[in-house]
Amino acid sequence: MSLFFISAEAGAAMAWRPAADIYRTPEGWIVKLELAGVQQEDVNVVTSGSELFISGVRRDRFVEEGWSHHSMEITYSHFERVIELPCDLGRASVSIEGHDGLLLVRVIISHEEER
Amino acid sequence: MNEQIESLPVLPIKNSVLFPGLLMPLTAGRPSSVAAIDAALASEDKELLIVTQRDSAVESPIVSDLYAIGTKAVVKRMMRRQDGAVNLIVQGVERVALTKIEQTEPYLVAQVRLAPVPEETNTEIEAMRRAILELSARAIQLAQPNAPIEVTQMLAENEEPLQLTYLIGSVLGLPVEKEQGLIEAPTRLDALRLLHSYLLHELQVLELRNQINVQAQGEMERQQREYLLRQQLRAIQEELGETSPEQADAEMFRKQMDEAQLPEEVRKEAERELSRMEKLPQASPDYHVIRTYLEMILELPWAKSTEDNLDLAHARQVLDEDHFDLKEVKERILEHLGVLKLNPTAKSPILCFVGPPGVGKTSLGQSIARSLGRKFERLALGGMHDEAELRGHRRTYIGAMPGRIVQAMRRAESNNPVLMLDEVDKLGRDFRGDPAAALLEILDPAQNHTFRDNYLDLPFNLSKVFFITTANTIDTVPSPLLDRMEMLRLSGYSAEEKMEIAHRYLIPRQLKESGLTDQQFILTDEALNHVIGRYTREAGVRQLERAIGSLTRRVALRFAEGDTTPAIVRVEDLPEMLGPERFTFELARKQLPPGVATGLAWTETGGDVLYIEATLLPAGRGLTLTGHLGEVMQESAKAAQSFIWAHAGRMGIDPNIVRRSGVHIHVPAGAIPKDGPSAGITMATAMASVLTRIPIHKEVAMTGEITLRGKVLPIGGVKEKLLAAHRAGVTIVIIPKENEKDLAEVPADVLEALQISAVETMDEVLQIALERLPSPRPDANLEMPAPVWQQTPPVPGTAEGPLS
Repeated sequence: MSLFFISAEAGAAMAWRPAADIYRTPEGWIVKLELAGVQQEDVNVVTSGSELFISGVRRDRFVEEGWSHHSMEITYSHFERVIELPCDLGRASVSIEGHDGLLLVRVIISHEEER
Repeated sequence: MNEQIESLPVLPIKNSVLFPGLLMPLTAGRPSSVAAIDAALASEDKELLIVTQRDSAVESPIVSDLYAIGTKAVVKRMMRRQDGAVNLIVQGVERVALTKIEQTEPYLVAQVRLAPVPEETNTEIEAMRRAILELSARAIQLAQPNAPIEVTQMLAENEEPLQLTYLIGSVLGLPVEKEQGLIEAPTRLDALRLLHSYLLHELQVLELRNQINVQAQGEMERQQREYLLRQQLRAIQEELGETSPEQADAEMFRKQMDEAQLPEEVRKEAERELSRMEKLPQASPDYHVIRTYLEMILELPWAKSTEDNLDLAHARQVLDEDHFDLKEVKERILEHLGVLKLNPTAKSPILCFVGPPGVGKTSLGQSIARSLGRKFERLALGGMHDEAELRGHRRTYIGAMPGRIVQAMRRAESNNPVLMLDEVDKLGRDFRGDPAAALLEILDPAQNHTFRDNYLDLPFNLSKVFFITTANTIDTVPSPLLDRMEMLRLSGYSAEEKMEIAHRYLIPRQLKESGLTDQQFILTDEALNHVIGRYTREAGVRQLERAIGSLTRRVALRFAEGDTTPAIVRVEDLPEMLGPERFTFELARKQLPPGVATGLAWTETGGDVLYIEATLLPAGRGLTLTGHLGEVMQESAKAAQSFIWAHAGRMGIDPNIVRRSGVHIHVPAGAIPKDGPSAGITMATAMASVLTRIPIHKEVAMTGEITLRGKVLPIGGVKEKLLAAHRAGVTIVIIPKENEKDLAEVPADVLEALQISAVETMDEVLQIALERLPSPRPDANLEMPAPVWQQTPPVPGTAEGPLS
């Protein structure tokens, strides 16, 4: 009955996947992730070959004493996103910055490497 | 590293187990659960411990009510409901072991230790994984034959064996204990083995279920198919403008019912049955029962009658054409015609023809029908012993049919036929009932206008039916039945009448049968007379017709063989053609010895001549009677004996002989039962003859009842007896005086040939019968001493007149 539902979600395993836009820039790549409410220190970006691993955790820090949830739709806890880019990222430098609820992952590839 | 300890709010769940990595929708209603969820949501990580209760009935579980292994989970979605309960979707994160309860109020908080199943890979694990994939593919195939193939593929893509185990384990719908067993399995291999055994069992159950389903479906499909085909048939018939067979039947009946002139009561009943029939399928047995019933109702002539031919001249002509003489019967028929002419609604008479076989009772019925212009139906009652044959069986019986009367009416197709009930004297009766009793209703004009057959259960009007019954004798007809009928006697024919009948009917008929013309076959009167007298002895004309038939066949054979000269059959030819003469006139007993007297008897087959023999038994005693005599006849013999004893002296009989000898009377033929008092004077004459040793005139025959005083009382069947006497060649017949009136019925030629003496006393009889008169003994006026066996003492001085 719920076979489809569960199996489809099961592909995501234990972490959730934030939505991402990927841009090509003159310097390299920018990955824009929809990750509001995530602090930069909670995000971890690792490269391996042509893959970019973005993982982290969204913690609900915006709760005060005396509040209680009436409903919850935002997914907290661990997230994970693997993005494969059409080039080797061995020498690339990666930086992250938060911007109005979006998380920008900037990947700069050295020019000499590209040639 | 694996000693990671955390404190988590606990959400106990019932009836299921949350596996790590899987999502589960939950509803929490218990205050402690809601509090635990609130606590989890208030935390930054939204984590809690999902652990299964051992017993789902426990509302406030303590630590001993919970399994020791649970799952750390993250709340993914939550929504509070109006009633305070909380809907949420949780996702299992990690297998954990519950080590300690830290808090119980307002919600449980437990200290847990992360207890992931160690990651290991070996060939056995891979083998188990593949086996499980195969089994689950089969299970999916069985459980959901229509499931897309992708589901199986998706499972196969799941490389992580533990994840696969948990996923399959959660969808199998296993009991809680088994699911908990899966999560508690300490190694991957253990978990895989456990799942493998579960799957095998599940697969067996599924296969069995599938088998049952297939069987049930096969049964359903057959019925479904039949139903569908029938519907299609109906649709095709409708398309062709045909109606279903049931409807067609019903419509046909309705049409016929409109056309038939049914009485109101019958019509109502028929319509009720028809509407019942319409509701039944054609395959139902009741359908055919009703159908047959309706057919019967519609075929019966409820209001259909033939028009009577009231032309008296025509009727007379028809009757005369078919039958010679039988004036009484013909007059009765013509009378009825006359009545019908004046009163068309007159009730038909119920006639009973009584007479010996072969006198034309049945054919007379036919010609009555012909003369009236009515239908003729004949019903043989001989041997019928079951009332139900006449009146039918009630419809509740299987194979029930209407009675013979109603069936005859259906065959006649009119409600005023001539219905002949043949052989009414030969009705039987047994434990099944008495058909004569049913006839009482049928033949009673006051009742038979509402005759109810058991099968029809509707009143049928029989009052217009012209009933004719026939019987050879009325002795065996119950008197209430006899009382309802108008009796007409058809006695036998004389030789002259037979000649006439032969010339008019028998010879032409037999010529036609044999294919001869009346020029080819000529039977001389003399020869015909010879056939009547020497080859047949009967009241009717059946044997005569047969004899004529064999003559014509003989001649036909000759013609067929080529000899075409007309055949003239003379007396001399008869022995060759018919064999030796079968009967000689009884008169051939040329001289009667003393003690033999000629009596006349009435039988069912007409009259007969019999010789009564009396003989003395020297040193014997009393009276011996033989010849199968009935009680009445035996008493009559005793009365005759007593009369002779009492008057012995007057007759010149030696008293010593009387005293010392017994008398034996025998009436041949010994095998034929005889009864009745009409041989009284004959037996007395025989005794007188043997005692006086004076023979009796051989041409004298006699009949009459005797009294002790020597009076001669009247008897029945005079006509038949005279005809028999005539046939036998007797010339003088003694009859009782009171029977003289019956002579009117006797054919003139017979009367002419016979010298008939009507007598009143025994003395007159003896005077005529004995060859000479005995001379009275000198002591004639003295009374004989009464013999010891004599029951009635002689009354003194009763010499009733002289013997001369």
